[in-house]
Amino acid sequence: MTDATNLDGAVTLITGAGRGIGLGIAEVLSERGAVIAVSDLDPDSATVAANAFNAGGAQAVPFGGDTTSQESMDALAAAVIEEFGHIDILVCNAGVIGAPGYQERSDHTEADWDATFGVNVKGFVHTTNSVAPHMRSRNAGRIVNIASHGGRKPRGARSTLGSVQTPYSVSKAAVIQWTHLLAIELAQHNITVNAVCPGVLWTPMWETIAENQKSNNPELAELTPREVFDQSIKARMPMGREQTPRDIGKAVAFLASDDASEITGQALNVNGGAVMN
Amino acid sequence: MVGHSTAQLEGKVALVTGAARGIGFGIATVLAERGSEVAICDLSGEASSAAADGLLSDGHSVIGIATNVTVPESLNAAVSRVIEAFGRVDILVANAGVWASAGYEERPHYNDADWEITHSVNVRGVVNSAEAVVPHMQERGSGRIVNIASHGGRKPRGMATGRTLGFPYSVSKAGVIQWTHGLAIELAPFNITVNAVCPGELWTHMIRGIYTNRRNLTIDHSRDLSGGGISGDFALAMQNTVPLGRGQTPRDIGNAVAFLASDDAAEITGQALNVNGGARMN
Repeated sequence: MTDATNLDGAVTLITGAGRGIGLGIAEVLSERGAVIAVSDLDPDSATVAANAFNAGGAQAVPFGGDTTSQESMDALAAAVIEEFGHIDILVCNAGVIGAPGYQERSDHTEADWDATFGVNVKGFVHTTNSVAPHMRSRNAGRIVNIASHGGRKPRGARSTLGSVQTPYSVSKAAVIQWTHLLAIELAQHNITVNAVCPGVLWTPMWETIAENQKSNNPELAELTPREVFDQSIKARMPMGREQTPRDIGKAVAFLASDDASEITGQALNVNGGAVMN
Repeated sequence: MVGHSTAQLEGKVALVTGAARGIGFGIATVLAERGSEVAICDLSGEASSAAADGLLSDGHSVIGIATNVTVPESLNAAVSRVIEAFGRVDILVANAGVWASAGYEERPHYNDADWEITHSVNVRGVVNSAEAVVPHMQERGSGRIVNIASHGGRKPRGMATGRTLGFPYSVSKAGVIQWTHGLAIELAPFNITVNAVCPGELWTHMIRGIYTNRRNLTIDHSRDLSGGGISGDFALAMQNTVPLGRGQTPRDIGNAVAFLASDDAAEITGQALNVNGGARMN
């Protein structure tokens, strides 16, 4: 049995765990006793992260893994099960904001749609396809999908920022709907499926967004990307502060714990109250 | 419970309304087990004391206080009493609620009394509870408020049943969710978070009344569909309508409240979390 403060020995596979939000999730879960399979497209970042966890007395093993490839995810799941014997918790986190060159564009391109749908939606599907049969056979499992509050209903006046972020938001809305549907499918196998919707965090992804806003809005040209970020926090965060990857990790820890055994199909905003559902 | 930690709410002080039985007692129990000092507030002073005594005998720091959430003065007195006993209030759990007015077991439709009682307890009672404790939390620059709504307060989906008895309750619970959203924005600058938990269906005193009502209104009274009486009706309904196939327990709601009241949820405010086995999604 585990509660939110203790995930003692739970084997957890996290994609995109080499940096940003995924790294924060891996950090928190590892501190709470989970055994972490750190997977990232960039295997070096996974190795650096796993080494740090192991040095801190936790147990972690790095893996590569390209979520856009079903074969790669099948190999990843098989390797993790080979290493640890089973998987208790799957965190689908790997995501992209758009295609390369995003910083310079004001409007979305075909490549943005392909990149966001390929990684943010189909990437989650591939990872789940590889792990869910294993969880079904054990009649136990926790899946937590990292969506975004950008996947919730939008609200606002005229935008000066163009439409380049639209594919990302649409893909994150798809993650939420995928979470709802998958939860119903897997409930009979005692597997819960939930989503966490992060708000605004200073990660490599938001640095890209800030650079994009600078290139689209002359008023922001003189600001550093971090200053653009800070302005955004001030303008739309009721709590007045940014979230951190660790904040997201804490919500994931709760949803992955025994404390949340009756919670499935839900999407939880961790966003300082910026968007509510 | 292996891996259970009392550190989650160590040193916190919680005030829970409607805490002598049902969901409220489950919440009070979990908060106490996680290290919180707890004030059990309930309309019945006797029931409050009895519930508190039960937890006290398990070694927890608990007091029982007779409290009527429809009377602001009663809540003000309760808050003063908790501050006197424990020094402060860190966590408010506004839980006290009613389903409908007396005699509802026999009625298919709402009446004026149903609208009045659900509004005065479920909506105004939650508002009164916050008003009694917010100045204190603002002064301290910290606080956690968790309102117990219901997934019945979410958007309905389904076909006509020819019964409207549950409308006032559902409307009142939608009110609790909207109140949660609005209050969260107002209190965010004071480092106070406000969230709601939306329970699904639990085998409590309240749900027994609801299933008694359903059974009383079935056309063929003699037909025991589940073969297990009212609790059998409930179990069958859970199998048929809840993805996880079971009802929730008061402790499940308590677990979610403990999370939202803990440091782990510092960046979560204005949210409503369904704890309902996936029966409704938002």
